Amino acid sequence: MNEKFVINIGRQLGSGGRQIGEKLATRFGIAFYDKELIQLASKESGLAKEFFENADEKKSHSIIGGLLGLRTNISNEVYVNNYLSNETFFKIQSDIIRELAEEKSSVFVGRCADYILRDHPRCINVFITADTNDRVKRVALDKNITREKAQEVIEKTDKKRSEYYNYFSNKTWGVAESYHLCINSSVLGIDETVDFISQFVKQRLK
Amino acid sequence: MESKDLPIALGTEKVGKLLMQYAIPAIIAMTASSLYNITDSIFIGHGVGALAISGLALTFPLMNLAAAFGSLVGVGASTLMSVRLGQKDYDTANKILGNVFILNIILGLAYTVVVLSFLDPILYFFGASAATLPYAHQYMVVILLGNVVTHMFLGLNALLRSTGRPQKAMYTTLCSVLINVILNPLFIFVFKWGIQGSAFATVISQVVMLVWQINIFSNKKHFIHLKKGTFRLQRKIVVDSMAIGLSPFLMNAASCVIVVLINQGLIHYGGDLAVGAYGIVNRVVFLFVMIVMGINQGMQPIAGYNFGAGHYDRVTEVLKKTLFLATGVMTLGFLIGEFSPHAVASVFTTDKTLINMASEGLRIVIVFFPIVGLPMVTANFFQSIGMAGKAIFLSLTRQLIFLLPCLLILPMIFGLKGVWYSMPAADLASSVISTYLLVSQFRKFRKPVIV
Repeated sequence: MNEKFVINIGRQLGSGGRQIGEKLATRFGIAFYDKELIQLASKESGLAKEFFENADEKKSHSIIGGLLGLRTNISNEVYVNNYLSNETFFKIQSDIIRELAEEKSSVFVGRCADYILRDHPRCINVFITADTNDRVKRVALDKNITREKAQEVIEKTDKKRSEYYNYFSNKTWGVAESYHLCINSSVLGIDETVDFISQFVKQRLK
Repeated sequence: MESKDLPIALGTEKVGKLLMQYAIPAIIAMTASSLYNITDSIFIGHGVGALAISGLALTFPLMNLAAAFGSLVGVGASTLMSVRLGQKDYDTANKILGNVFILNIILGLAYTVVVLSFLDPILYFFGASAATLPYAHQYMVVILLGNVVTHMFLGLNALLRSTGRPQKAMYTTLCSVLINVILNPLFIFVFKWGIQGSAFATVISQVVMLVWQINIFSNKKHFIHLKKGTFRLQRKIVVDSMAIGLSPFLMNAASCVIVVLINQGLIHYGGDLAVGAYGIVNRVVFLFVMIVMGINQGMQPIAGYNFGAGHYDRVTEVLKKTLFLATGVMTLGFLIGEFSPHAVASVFTTDKTLINMASEGLRIVIVFFPIVGLPMVTANFFQSIGMAGKAIFLSLTRQLIFLLPCLLILPMIFGLKGVWYSMPAADLASSVISTYLLVSQFRKFRKPVIV
């Protein structure tokens, strides 16, 4: 496997997607990018990190959001688009993802990487889910909050991610059609899920 | 978005030079579109009569509303298009083009059918009288029948810009204005078609340019072109574009409501000629406002990029320069309007009463122009640095929040003059609020806090 390849991980919050991604990267000896992308985007563009953090995996325009004017244009005729829009940040981040994918084999977590790299000849798109109980447990532990709060956070984050993905990609988030492999990490547990996915990747790249 | 999304020049080039670079095309384009109505008004005023100008003035909110529906699709679709082009996703981009095409036809036809069915009641509600109705009616019928063309013309223009051909979009606008200027006197003075001649001139000028636009978009060599299979409406594209376009649409609808209220007040306290006088005043004011809006558009990318990159000194610089230019333009308008209002009004009409009313109105309305550059620029400034909430609030203070109660109360005290007074009153109020918001923002610049 000396040609470059890319593994794109879509994930529900609390499904262990990040962990799985990290372990896959270690397993194959390749780069891993999750929140690191924000740092890179900020450095490359010169724009402050906070903008990218605020825009991270959030769509900019919901209908209500439109009414409250979240990053919209006031005038009818738009001759020069708003530079500080989520669209700009997405473009910057997506350019970086493309550059990184060209440099070396990588694992990307979220951020519509599977859509951005849709023309990449050797990419594997995986979507990770988990049983609700496991997700709530994991999030509550990770963020040090109650299970009820964790449940709320999960619902909100999933909604934001799906809006983001559906807006910026041309596919639907969490739907089997959008990915090569969908897997529930609770079935085999994190480590064996990593094994399973690795096997899938190896066979795909033959 | 431009093809290189963040030209580093925004952070390094001289601010003044950048401002000119970005503002001038925007100014040309925005004043060009305001010239449409000015040309129509001038030729109608001289060729048809004073009452005709009043009739025309009544139709402005309807035409603005039509344009607003157009932008409901156009603004959103442009944003979506930019995203797809940034990802080189030409398949989806073409679908957006096809959808815009069809959606504009549907919305255009729907608007035509609905408004035509209720045209006279609507016009009466807008402040028409028995004398002005025939003019307004005749004009609107032609405009409404051509509404689909207007929608598509504006929508395709927006897409020309977002597919990297802003010059072509600018030429399209300029050419349509030019054709309008040529056809107007031809139809009114030579063919003697009256006010309808002017409407025909407008519609025909847009038809001609629409044909040219369709020609451009049919060029299969360009990666974005009209093609079979893209015309099926896709829920995602439609909903996403309208969600983005909803905000500017509502702002536009709000300003239409205001104009209707103004006209209602004017017809009640001053009669038909008062409506005509406001029509003239409005067109003159609009021209200067468009120039300032062009300057603002030039400021946007410069302020936005430098704010994002933390170069607050450059942000301050571009803001100051923009404020200076905007205030200069508005002050020029102030001087022209205050010192020679009769000359200005005479451009539009020869009727003595109308000239006097328009002059009086103009003098009152522009009395705070030297300071109104501030709220206009400040609103746009907040938008550029990502604080759209403040931007919308400021725009609303000038266009709605203060204007509305003034329009309801002041005429009860001052009669006709009360209607005129409302506008500068709102200008003053929004100037005060803008100053406060701007000063507090600059205090925050000491410790950068990103909202």
